[in-house]
Formats: sequence, C-alpha cells, structure tokens
Amino acid sequence: MVHLPKLNELGFFEIRLESIGGLGANLAGKMLAEAGVEGAGLNGVSFSSYGSEKKGSPVKAHIRFCDLETSIRDTSPVERPHIVSIFQEALAKTVNVISGIYEDSTVLVNSRKTPEQLKERMKLIGGTIAVIDATGIALEEKNRVNMAMLGAMFRLCPFLDPETMKGVIRKSLEKKYPQTVAPALATFERGYQEVVFQTFALPEGASMPAFVRADTPVLGYETQPLGGLIVNPGNSILKDLSISRSGMMPHFKEESCIHCAQCDNVCPDNCFVWEELPDKKGRPQMFLKGIDYQYCKGCLKCIHACPTDALSGEREEDNYADEHRVPHLFDLVVQ
Amino acid sequence: MAINLEKERRTAKVEQRVVFESGNEMAAYAAQQINYHIMGYFPISPSTEVAQFLDLMKANGQHDVKLIPSDGEHSSAGICFGASTGGGRVFNATSANGYMYMLEQMPVQSGTRFPMVMNLVCRSVSGPLNIHGDHSDLYFALNTGWPILMCRDPQAVYDMNIMAIKLAEDPEVRLPVLVASDGYFTSHQKRRVSTFAHSEDVLKFVGETPPAGFLHTLDRNNPITVGPYMNEPDYINNCYQQSQGMYNAERVFERIADEYAELTGREYPMLDLYRMEDAEVAVFLMNSASEIIKDVVDELRRQGIKAGSIAPNVIRPFPQKQIAEALKHVKAVTVGDRADSYGAHGGNMTNEIKAALFTYGNHSTKVVSRVYGLGGKEFYAEDGHHLFSLAIDAAKQDRVEVPFDYYGHTPGDKEKAPKRMMNPLRFEDLKTGLITVTRNEETGKLGVRIPPLRALTKKPKRIAPGHGACPGCGIFSGLELFFKGIEGDIVALFHTGCAMVTTTGYPYSSHKATYIHNLFQNGAATLSGLVEMFWERKRRGEFDKLGLSDDFTFVMVTGDGGMDIGMGPAIGAALRNHRMIIVEYDNEGYMNTGAQLSYSTPLGHRTSTSNLGSAQQGKVFHHKDTAQIMAATNIPYVFTGSEAYPQDLVKKAAKAQWYAQNEGLVYGKILIACPLNWISKDDEGTNIVDAAVNSCFFPLYEVEHGQTAITYNPDDKGKRVPLTDWLKTMGKTRHLIKPENEVALKSFEQEVERRWQVLLAKHEHPYL
Repeated sequence: MVHLPKLNELGFFEIRLESIGGLGANLAGKMLAEAGVEGAGLNGVSFSSYGSEKKGSPVKAHIRFCDLETSIRDTSPVERPHIVSIFQEALAKTVNVISGIYEDSTVLVNSRKTPEQLKERMKLIGGTIAVIDATGIALEEKNRVNMAMLGAMFRLCPFLDPETMKGVIRKSLEKKYPQTVAPALATFERGYQEVVFQTFALPEGASMPAFVRADTPVLGYETQPLGGLIVNPGNSILKDLSISRSGMMPHFKEESCIHCAQCDNVCPDNCFVWEELPDKKGRPQMFLKGIDYQYCKGCLKCIHACPTDALSGEREEDNYADEHRVPHLFDLVVQ
Repeated sequence: MAINLEKERRTAKVEQRVVFESGNEMAAYAAQQINYHIMGYFPISPSTEVAQFLDLMKANGQHDVKLIPSDGEHSSAGICFGASTGGGRVFNATSANGYMYMLEQMPVQSGTRFPMVMNLVCRSVSGPLNIHGDHSDLYFALNTGWPILMCRDPQAVYDMNIMAIKLAEDPEVRLPVLVASDGYFTSHQKRRVSTFAHSEDVLKFVGETPPAGFLHTLDRNNPITVGPYMNEPDYINNCYQQSQGMYNAERVFERIADEYAELTGREYPMLDLYRMEDAEVAVFLMNSASEIIKDVVDELRRQGIKAGSIAPNVIRPFPQKQIAEALKHVKAVTVGDRADSYGAHGGNMTNEIKAALFTYGNHSTKVVSRVYGLGGKEFYAEDGHHLFSLAIDAAKQDRVEVPFDYYGHTPGDKEKAPKRMMNPLRFEDLKTGLITVTRNEETGKLGVRIPPLRALTKKPKRIAPGHGACPGCGIFSGLELFFKGIEGDIVALFHTGCAMVTTTGYPYSSHKATYIHNLFQNGAATLSGLVEMFWERKRRGEFDKLGLSDDFTFVMVTGDGGMDIGMGPAIGAALRNHRMIIVEYDNEGYMNTGAQLSYSTPLGHRTSTSNLGSAQQGKVFHHKDTAQIMAATNIPYVFTGSEAYPQDLVKKAAKAQWYAQNEGLVYGKILIACPLNWISKDDEGTNIVDAAVNSCFFPLYEVEHGQTAITYNPDDKGKRVPLTDWLKTMGKTRHLIKPENEVALKSFEQEVERRWQVLLAKHEHPYL
C-alpha cells in the first residue's frame, strides 16, 4: 500500500477544495477520493458542503485519506487541511480560504498570478503555494476548470497515480458525457504538467495563525426575532456577489446606449442603475447610468438583449469592476 | 459499525465487493440488488438521490424496479401502500417535511400489516425551512408502528436495507420497516462499503420472492377486503396484534442479524456498545454522531477515564433490556437527543432510557439530557468531550445539576441585533400611474395601456439584488418583468423552490415588501387565508392606523414543482376565487433539489430522474398543461408569458392585478430558463424561451372570462420555427434530435401541434 506523506493526530491526510458552485469542485473531489480509495487502496471519505447552494455560491469539498486500519468516524468538515485547492481566486475576497493550514501545507490556486503575488494577496505567512492557470487551460482545451485543478492536485499527492485517475475520468464521464472524455484527459494532463510551486518558509519568530472555528452565528437566541422572522427586508444588498463571476463580465459604453431597457428586462440580478434626468426637450426621462458590479454574476444575458453595442462581454481584469461600478443608491435608513 | 475489512475478508462466507459510495447510493444499490417491484417517490433533500441513482441504473437496464414519480409524498406513500397490498416488494425514501406529509399513511401501512421498506434520510422538520440533518423527522416515526433500523454510516445503510425487507416480511412481524440514516452526514459522504458481490446472494438471503401464504389484493380466487371500518371493541385487538408483531421484531431482527453476520462478517446487535465493559461514564448518541464519540472515548480512555458509548441499531422495538443492562454499572450517562420533544424535559431517547432504567430497577445511574446538533449543526469531537464532561461531573457529585438543556445554542451579541437598514418602498414610487387598465363595458374585456418599458425602470424593483440564484437564472428577470406591470403594494408568498431559497437565506432577505413562505404544497391555501384576513380586517376598519394607501395585491409565486405537489390547494383556492394572483415560474423541473422531473418536464427531456441510457431516453410522459387545468376552474383570468416578449408580459401583469383586485383569482405561467439544469449557456436564456414560444411549445395567450386569445401567434408573424430548433439549444434535449429518438420526437411534435391547434380553435370560438 502507498504511504501518506503526513498525518494528523487521528491518522488522516486531509484535503479541502474551495470553489464556487459550477466549477466542478464537487466532482473533482469525488474523483480524487476515488483514485485514493479504489486506485491506491487507501481508506477515505469524501463529501461536499451541502445544501441549496447554487451555481456561483461558495462551496467546499472535503477529502480524508488514511490507511485501511484507521477507522473513519469523523463526519465533520476538514478544518486543518494539508492541501487546500482554490478553484476561484477571487473567493479569497469573501472566504477565509486558507483557514487552518499548517506551515507545511500546500495551497493550490487557479490563477495567472505568481506565487509571490498570491502569498501577498492571501496573507499567507508560511507554506507552499502552487499555481495553475486552470481557467486558461480549460478555455484552450474547451473543457472544465476542475480537470486542470485535478491534474495539479495529483502532482501535490505523490501517493496517487495519475494513470489511475485517467481511468476514473473515463469511467466517470463516458456514460453521461462520452464526448468530453478526450478533452478532459488533455486538460488533466496539462494541469499535472504545468503547475508551479514555491515554498515560503515560516519566518523566524513568526507563527501560523491559530485555527479559529467560525461557526457562531451573528444573531442568537437573545437577539433573533421570534419565529425566524427577518425584520430587515432587502438586506441582501449587503452581499458581494462579484465572486460568482467565473471570468467574464459585461462592459457598458454609455455613448452607444439608447436607454431602451432591454438589458434591464433580462437581468436576473438587478444590476442596472437608472437615473431620471431631463431629456433633450427638458422632459423627465430615465437614463441608464451603468452597472452595479457588486451584484453582477457575469451571465451576459444583457449582451444579447442589447440592440446596440453599448454592452459587450469581456474577460474580467483586476480592478475593472471596482473602477467602473455604478452603485445603486438605495433608500437606506442611515445614509 | 465501522468496518474492519481485514476481519471481514476472513469471515465473510459469500463473496463481497468493496465500493466507495455514499449512504444514498448504498440505499439505492441495495434496492437494485433486491430488485423491488415498485418504488413510489417524491423528491425531497437529502433523500432524493436514492430515486436518482435508481433511475440512472434503470436507464442502463440494471434493474426492473418500476419507479413512479408521484405528485407529492402523500401520493408516494399512497402509491406504496396500494402497491404493497398487491403482494410484491415496495420501496420508498423520504425526509423531513416529506415524511410529515405522508405521516397519516404510516400507521395505515403498519396497521393493515403490509410490509415494505422505506429509507428515512433524517433531516430537520421545521418552519423556518432547514434542509439539514437532525432527528426531528425520525422522532415522529416512533409512534407509527414501523420497526426502525438505524444506520451510522453508508455500510450500515447497505446492510440494514438488506436486512429490513427480510424483517418486514417475516411471518412473525409483517410490518413496514423504516431504515434511518443521517441526512448529508451519511447520505452524502462517500465511504468504503462492502457489498454482496452478486445480487443472487442477496436474493438467496432475503428470499427470491416474498414469503408465500399471505393474502393480497391481486388474487382473484381469494378476494379480500382491505381497510374495513373498524371501531370498538375490535380495534384494540388489531392494535394488540400489531404490538405483538413489533415486539416480535426484536427476536426476529436478532435472528436475521445473526444470519447476516454469518454470511458477511458484519454484526449488528440491537445495541452497539463501545468500551462499555467497565465504563463508569457513558454517552448515548444515535447514528453518525455515535461514531464520532468513539474517538472521544478512546481519547478519554488514554487519560485514564473509564468512558464508553452506546448507540442503538434498532429503536423500534426499543432495546430497553439491553440498555438497562449496559448501564447497570455506569455512574452517569449523557443522552444526546438530536431533536427536542418540546416540554417533555428531555428528548425522546432520554425519556425512553430513563424508563428503561426505572423498569429494571436502576435508580442510581444519573441521566443528563442534552439536545444537540439541530438542523445539521456539526458535531465535533470537542462537543463529545463536553457531553462526557457533564456525565463525569454528575458521577462525581452524584447528582445532575441541570438535567435538561440545549447544547450548542448561542445568545448573540446585543450590539449586533438586527436593525432596519432600508426604508420601506414609497407607495408613490410603486404607484406610478404609468399603467392604466380600463374595462370595456360592452365586451367586458380589459384595455391596458403601458408606457415604453424604459419609463418603468423608474419603478423600484420588488426584489433587492444580492440574492443567490445561479448566473443567468430566468426566475428573477421573469418575475421582475411581471412586477413591472403591477402597481402599488404587494404581499408575496413564495412556494418552496429556488426563488424562495435564494432570496431568504437567513439572516438575509431580498424581499423589500412583505413575504411569506409556508410548506411546499400549501401556498395557495396559505395566501387565500391571508387574503381573507386582509378583507375582513379592512371591513372592521382595523387598518386605518397602518398607513395603507391602497389595497395590497396578493401574489403567490411558485415553481412548476409547487404546482405539482400544490395542485390540489391551488385548484381549491381557484374554485373559492380569492382575490389573488398565482404566478408560476416554469423551468420544467424540480431544480432546487437537483433537477428531478416535474410533470411540466416535456417528453424525452433529461432530468436526474429521467436519465438517458440504453433502456430509457428521458421522461416517458408528456408535459402537464397547467394553464388549461387552471382555466378549467373558470377563474376570471389565466395567462402565459415570457421575458422574450416583455410588453406582452407587462400588459398581462396589469390585467392580472385588475382581476385580482376586483374579481378573483388569476393564474399565470411564465416559462423561464434554468441554464444549469437545461445544460445551456448562462447568456442564452432569453433566446431559448423565445424559441420555445416560436416553436409553439409555449404559446403566449390569455383566457379572460373563459375566452381564449392568443396574444402572439408565431405563424402570423412568420416566426414559427420547428420544435427541433428549440430542442437543439439545450443539453438536456439534444439527444432527441438523434435518429434513434425519432419516435419520441415525433410523439412530442404531434402533442405540441395538437395542443396548438386546440388553442387556435379556442382563440377562434368564444365558447370553446
């Protein structure tokens, strides 16, 4: 049987996948676990964060490996991972993706940035950063991000055999999606080959942040209105949904806009911001001012609805959304 | 039981095969090996996957179980009851509110003594809605007269499912059996599981066919009367027979479990005891948490504390004697109940354990009761240590300081108590006056004038951004477009579904105006009650102080799933003609629970319960015509709409509001895109529903006072496209274009054309 490189006190090697729904992290986690259990003969458990999380919402997948003699009794999520695999770089904005890592853990990120840049961005003190441009590879190979991530994760798990994985990919896909087998294998292979690493030693005197379990809700039995009522309607405006975008976003060119409201009619996320202004004849009229990118999930329905070239779909670049956001002006109690 | 593979390999007498699967997969796998005759089911998380896996296997010809997608759990239980009277083997799986909805069928199933097996994938029964795991549904099962087998991990789910049917059918038992596992913790975690390598070995164990000699409803030479009218003095005797059957189940289970252990090496005593031989303190937990606690026991033992844990493998019949025996020398035990029995000073297990101790004369063991882990709250080893610390304290002090409490609840920070953030929408912003509806006194029809849609962007959206729907979800564009046509204040009720879940994740709400959610099937009844409360309180002058400028428009929002399970209440509300609107967003499936088929799913469409494979190509029956069903209730106004035709939809909304305020109930159906489950690109939704309209799959029309008017005729506009132009836009339907599915495609095309022609005829003739 294969040898697991590190074990925690209960005898587990633990992996956590951080993603948004729709990138296939759940499937990747299952496949990785199958390769360990069915391929490498380990004992293991695999599961995802459960619930009604939709595409674009933060999700996690958890894997524990151990030897066959170790009983798996724990059903709780992986809190101290030896490997964290981050499918969506922007997640770090709203989720503590590296929570609970050890100083010798590896953090794999789907990114075009360098390990140094990512270390800064994620405020990593010590550990190994592995980078793979999974989105880029997936676009080129016309396949999915999860296969490239899976390839990279295999490099990080030397106890797993990539050839076994290719078998699992075939098995998982050929029934439901036979046409995707070849591109998936190519994407996996590139993920495996193209991942780069850099280890950052924990600076002398520094220590890794202590792990804190964040499961205490903001409200409690002394403050929660009876019966689960929400007495603060519309407060979902506080949410930042920009992490739901998986690479694309609409750009707005005001000078081409005829203010026809076709975009507004099809937008699922109420992102278009309007203002009443006098038209050329001085009569009050509605004008589209722009897009509130805080809520835009990048579906690009508006691009099709737009009869001019005022809206176009573009690859998301750093800071574009922040610089071009036109915020909704909500009627707040405290302005 | 945590499996010890080495040990099993030594002792299993029949060939075993190791798989890596979840609890739900194992329930389905066992059902496939048993090859039940019938499964009636209705999707509800977290048990839905059981039917999905069975459908996937069925699509590939791996079993013959007839899978019947019902219109709600009450029906699924009815299907199962009916089928079980027919003498074959019957299977079901459900959870939480689904179980509650079928609850009245449970004592009928047991009281009439027809065996079957149902998996209860345990989940919180609640309002506010919680879909995660606890035992509150299970505790309702305690009094139904079904033996209950408990599964702590996927291995146990498999093993108990195999044993359950044998137990149910045993001549000494003859009762339906419930197999309970923990939602998500067990149902969705993949583990190594040993299974019978060959289905023949399973059938050899459970019997190729049910035991002979029992009466059933399909034997013409032995007609029987099932379910007579039985009052006193006979009824108590039926109950006594049932009680005997239940107590027999203990002996029979032990016998079956012995036989099973012989074959597989896997043992299931009534009670699973871990390091209890010399234990002085113990914790009693059920299912998944009872495994986690074993790690805690090991840790405490290392510290020199004589700790042990107890978990039942069967809770009906309750292993009273075994528990009393196990606790005989224990100084204190903490009983963790994963559900409360409000007001009973302890959860059900606490009180049953206390009864066991009392019955067997044990007055010394201290019992600490804690309710923990509700609604899927994780149970960590640290929590196990806490439960043990309570028992250790009680043992030390020889008294229980706090006999009953919750564990894991949090007070919250007063500073962070909810404060209103947004002002309520201003009435004058909502009542723009831009839309006018006038009734033509001669024709009785309504005339509607709407401004350019640009002008309506001034009206505030009813739903705040920040909801969690998928990118490209058609629900909110469709709904907001509809709301653009509604003037003034609304009160909304959302049925269970994506729109509800994504807008109200506590403590957030995207609803700027008042919103209600009730059970999946009961929205129309609920809103009709509120509508009548409004009119009655208004009549009594009770709103004079509340700043109400105008009557509310009451809008119920439902998915197509809600109109399946809620069809009865919707028809009831329509027949009573309450002044309210029911607007359905139809995305052709139960998308919230993972894309199972709904009755609105068209023929041949692929869903997670109408899979593609060598033996099945998508859904096998035609789509429901909900608009026509509702029109047949003779309500004042019925419409269909789509975001691809915005002016048409806004006008219909304005009419809907007029009728709902002045005459009675309105029903409307909006076809909306679900990119995730239609397997289409996020940006294509509007175009896809446009193609659905232009192919005449989804005609735009209205029925006003019984008179049908097609409001957009693609033939007249020269926009008609073949059905295949629509079907090729979605991954869920592309297979229909392949030559091997020609028969299904033809059938679908004919049905669409037939319905379109009927509609055209109705359009022409006011009395059709």
